[in-house]
Formats: sequence, structure tokens, C-alpha cells
Amino acid sequence: LNAAPGRAPRQHVRFLPAPAGSDGGETGLVAARVPVLADHPLVRGPRFRRLKIGAGHRLDVKASGVFVLGIGHGNKLLTDLYNCHLTKVYTVGGLFGKATDDFSDTGKLVEKTTFDHITREKLERILAVIQGTNHKALLMHSNIDMKTQEAYELAVKGLIRPMGKSPPIITAIRCLQLTLPEFQLEIHCLHETQQYLRKIVHEIGLELKSSAVCTQVRRIRDGVFTLDDALLRTQWNLQSIQNAIWDCQLKVKTELEKTLG
Amino acid sequence: VSAAMWGALRGARRPPPALRRGLAKPAGPRSVRQLREAEEAAPVFQYAGKAAKRKDRVFVWGFSYSGALGVPSFVKPDVGWKKPRRIQATPYRLETAEKISSVACGYGFTLLSSNTTDIIKVWGMGLNKDSQLGFQRSIRDRTKGYEYVLEPSPIPLPLEKPQQTRVLQVSCGRAHSLILTDSEGVFTMGNNSYGQCGRKVVEDEAYSESHLIHQLKEFDSTVVQVVCGQDHSLFRTKKGAVYACGWGADGQTGLGHYNITSVPTKLRGDIAGVNIIQVSSYGDCCLAVSDEGDIFGWGNSEYLQLASVTETTQVNVPRHLPFKIGKIKEAACGGTGNIVLTEEGNVFVWGYGILGKGPNLIETAVPEMIPPSLFGWSDFNPDIRVAHVRCGLSQFAALTNRGELFVWGKNLRGCLGTGRMEDQYFPWRVTVPGEVVDVACGVDHMVSMVKSFT
Repeated sequence: LNAAPGRAPRQHVRFLPAPAGSDGGETGLVAARVPVLADHPLVRGPRFRRLKIGAGHRLDVKASGVFVLGIGHGNKLLTDLYNCHLTKVYTVGGLFGKATDDFSDTGKLVEKTTFDHITREKLERILAVIQGTNHKALLMHSNIDMKTQEAYELAVKGLIRPMGKSPPIITAIRCLQLTLPEFQLEIHCLHETQQYLRKIVHEIGLELKSSAVCTQVRRIRDGVFTLDDALLRTQWNLQSIQNAIWDCQLKVKTELEKTLG
Repeated sequence: VSAAMWGALRGARRPPPALRRGLAKPAGPRSVRQLREAEEAAPVFQYAGKAAKRKDRVFVWGFSYSGALGVPSFVKPDVGWKKPRRIQATPYRLETAEKISSVACGYGFTLLSSNTTDIIKVWGMGLNKDSQLGFQRSIRDRTKGYEYVLEPSPIPLPLEKPQQTRVLQVSCGRAHSLILTDSEGVFTMGNNSYGQCGRKVVEDEAYSESHLIHQLKEFDSTVVQVVCGQDHSLFRTKKGAVYACGWGADGQTGLGHYNITSVPTKLRGDIAGVNIIQVSSYGDCCLAVSDEGDIFGWGNSEYLQLASVTETTQVNVPRHLPFKIGKIKEAACGGTGNIVLTEEGNVFVWGYGILGKGPNLIETAVPEMIPPSLFGWSDFNPDIRVAHVRCGLSQFAALTNRGELFVWGKNLRGCLGTGRMEDQYFPWRVTVPGEVVDVACGVDHMVSMVKSFT
């Protein structure tokens, strides 16, 4: 960033003594525009010494996926995005047959169980009930009086969301694939932590009269940012970052206007 | 070291070379190989086998002091720390001896029936002041009966072949109940002051502690469905005919007059010759669905239930209701509102009261559709459909094909089961730990039949 051509130094008008052309003694002054010495790069130093980088929603050490960062003035947009309370989408991979103390496959083993009785049908039933109870929690924590006509209209459109603090809520969950003992779920959620998702995997295992651990948590969407907008490790250079910021600007602006009015 | 020490002492006897007992070492972090071996050596527990069956359960909720919930400790606590629970606001599991196949909720009482060939097929609980649960002999005084039955108690039926006949369905009205069997007709018990039990009205009959259970067999073909209204009874036969008896002042018997009928008589009007596949009633209005998807109504129309065809408030002949909402699959009648389910899975409501479209819709004579997104339908779940609709006196219930139960309406004494005491103006999910198979709605309580998940 510092290597990029910076701002041209300010110019000001100074009255300089005229170059002594002929014999000296002439004390005339000539106005000339000269760059301000204070703006000289060697005086000022590098333009960027520190960058203010803020992080969006937290991502665990063991999880992976889209991680939103704001740079400089973009941090203000970060707080606005947080207040929008948009859903995040995760791909959660799990393994039946084991239960560990921290719900992931690297933890201390607590119990091993059989899992051959699990079918896709049973898993879908459990997921349907998880969705149902979380939908109810969504309506309850949204702090809207259920007796009003506008609450009814928002509920019909599916726009009721908690706009303040709330416990983690799963808005949608579905099974992408089930090949015993592994399975993969897609979870849309609000206000969650990755450990909460691992706990959900563990509880699904318990509900199916077996046990499950979580092998993979990957965030594929965070509000308006999807995997396509995310930069890979090899792309962490100035040009790609600048391009990414430029591409996402419009999306972020429209989303903020839509939600916060 | 110790050998040298010992050797240094003069004249000391050398002890035999002892086993070196060092101090116990701490466990230390186990290596990956040790962990893996420990994991593989761990025992595997089996909680459910491959052929594990899903269990059938019964859940109850609502007002408990009438005994209709069947949990005696809610009314009379058996242990010192328990307090009497007037209202059970969320579903509570009821332990039953057999698998229950049919449930009906009346006005303060409940009937559960199982289709077994055992001698005891029907259990009843709740109010018994008109012997709507048969004669329940009191333990304390063998000549008297109970007025309130707090636990599911067996109802003795006078069957000719008790170990072969099966009970197909039960139905409960305000103070009478009907039990349908597969080969021995319909048994009726309870209040008969309007002839709703299908027998002649006896003046000043004492209905309390009565042993009388009447049997009805004379119909044109086998009775397939029995429905109780508030003070009248409807019978649907296999040929598609509908019979009615009981009070008719609102025209709910549909026989063309406003008098009492004490013998089941066939209905005419617009349903003559039509093959009816479902009948429904709970208050004073009745609805019937034909196999072609048409709907017929008769009875009380003070709440605009039949206002689409007539201005009169009492309709005593079945009239066809020409709604253009699609082929109708199922209908349910409540006290003031009606609900139908079409073949596409859409739910329509009309009538008066809390209809389910917000607080602004209080009454309508024309059916209004409830948006499917309120039942969980969305782009993420496009397969969700409503499978059944049921009606209580001022509540509605809908069951989806995923086994979720949605209720709305007036929350009389906690009967909605949502956990809150407020009225619900749009469909709200009831959290039941299982897949709801069927639900029966009463005035202030509800009973559901649930299959466990795994």
C-alpha cells in the first residue's frame, strides 16, 4: 500500500528571491509555486503505518469458511451489518457412533454406540422437529406482540426475526447427505457459535438413540457474503482485496438500506 | 543406590534383592497410539436395534379439574409436595395400558378406545354426571357411581361377542357419547333428554348413575363414522347416507323440522343420493363432504356459517355450499367457525371468532385461505402440506404431513397447549415430543395421539 503512488505534495506560493541573473544587489521577489517541505515523503514517512481492521462474526479455531473483515471506515458498516441480524449458513459434517466431551472428533471419548438403526427418514424427522421448535423460538424472541395484525402479516411473509439479543436460533436445517456413519447438514442460523452447532450435532445423535460428533464446521454464507466473494489464502494481496471490496460495496449498501431503512 | 547404602553399614544383613518399588509416576499425556488403542478397546453400547419400533403415546393438555386429562394427581395430589394443577398448559404424557386407536373429547370428559379384542376396549375420564362414561362403580359405596372420573377407567360394554368385536371409533358431545363397533352397531350412553342417544325420551329420567347403554343397529348399511354435536348425533353409513337424531331446534338434525328426533332418521335435502365420505359437527352446525369434493351444511347459521346460501339463521335441510375453492378433502365444524382442507393442501376458514388470519378477521361468510407459510411452508421446505384439520368449540387444529400440530383460536383455560394463556390469532406450533398422528379438540382440553421419533 505504501509503495503505491501517494498524494501529490501540497503546493504553496512562496516569495523567493529572484535568481541573481546579472550582477547581484537586486532584491526583487518572484512568486513561485513550490511544494511544501512538510509534505515531502522523507519528512512525512510512510502513509500507512497501521490499518484498522475489524472482524465480523467470530469463527472458531477448528472451523473454517467465510470470515468478514472491515478495514478502516468499513468498521462502521460492520456494526450496521451486525444490527441487521442476517442469517449465516454453515455446512456441518458429523460422524455417528462416538460421543466426546467437547462434541468434536478430537476430544476425549465418552461413549461408543451402534448406529445401524439410523435411516434418512428418522434423521429428517428429527431435523423437522428441530426446525419447528426453533421457528417457535424465532417468533417468541422477536419481541413482537402476537396479537396485532402486523405480527400476522410479518409471520405470513416469514419476516419475523429477533432484532436484538437472543439465544442461538436455527432458521433452517436440512440433511445434504447421509452415508453411515457420516452425514452432512446445512444449517441456517442466527446469533450462534460454532460450539453450539457442534452441540446440536451431539444432541441429534442422542435423539436418534445413538451418539454423534462433529467433524467439520464450515461457514458458507455470512449475511450477504458467500464463498464466491471470499478470498483464498493465495489471494491475500492488495489487488484482490481492493477488487473484493469494490465488488461487495453495492451488495452491502442495498442490504443495509433494505433492512435498516 | 540402596545396595551401596546397605553395604556401608557394618554388620548389617543384606536384604534380599528387593523388587524396586519406585514412587507412582503421574499419568502424563498419552500418545496418539495409546489413545487410538483405548478408543478401539472401548465397549460399544446399543440403545436401539435395527428393528426398534416407534412407540405410540397419548398427550393431554388443558383444564384438568374436571378430570378430563386423566391425571388424578393434578386434581388430588397423591404426594405432599405436589400442588393441584388447574391448567396443564403444555402437552403432558398420559400412560395408557393399550395402544389407543381413537380419541374423542367432549365437554369436560374424554373417551379413549383401542381396537383390541381384549374385554376392555374403551376408557373414559372426566365428568360423569349424565353417565356419559357409563356406570363407574364407586369403591367406597358399591351402590353409587362416580360423578367425576379422574383416571382412565374402563367402560363395560354389553357386547355379544366381547372377544371378537373391535371398537372402531368413539365420539363425545356435550353430555352423551357414541361408540362405534365393527359388527355390533353403535352404543350410545349419556344424556337423552333430546333423544340424542337414539332411544325414546323418558320424562324425568335420572341420567346420573344410570347403567343404561343403548345399542343401535338399524341402518341401511354398516355405520362407518359417528359424530356427536352438542345435543345431537350423526351417523354416516357405508353407502354414503347420513342419519341423525337428537335436538333439532337449530335444524342441526337436518330432517326438515325443528323438533326432537329420538330415532336415527335418514337425511334428505341436497345430500339425498350423494355419497358422503365425511361428516363433522361439534356445536350446532354440521358439515358433510361428498366423494366428489362438494360440501354440504345444515344447522345453526347465526355466525354466518351457511350465510353464503341463505339468510336464515337456522337451516334444517342439508344445503350444498357452492364454494369455488377446489375439491374438498376434509371438513371440521366448530362452535362458531368452520374449517375445510382441499385436495391441494390448502386450509380455508369461515364463520365467526378467531379464524386464524390475524385479529382483524373476526367474521366472514365466504371461506378465506390461510397462507401455507404459516404452517411451515417455505422455499426451503416446499413439501409441507396440511394433512388433517380438526375443530374444538372455539379452537382449530391442523396437522401437517411432517407430524407437526398447529393450533389457533381462543385459548380457553389453556386448551391450545402453547404454554401461554393468551388467544392465538394465527397458527402456532405446539411442541410435542413426537410425530402427531391425530388430535381431538374439546371445549377446554385437547388430547393427541403421537408416535415417538425413533
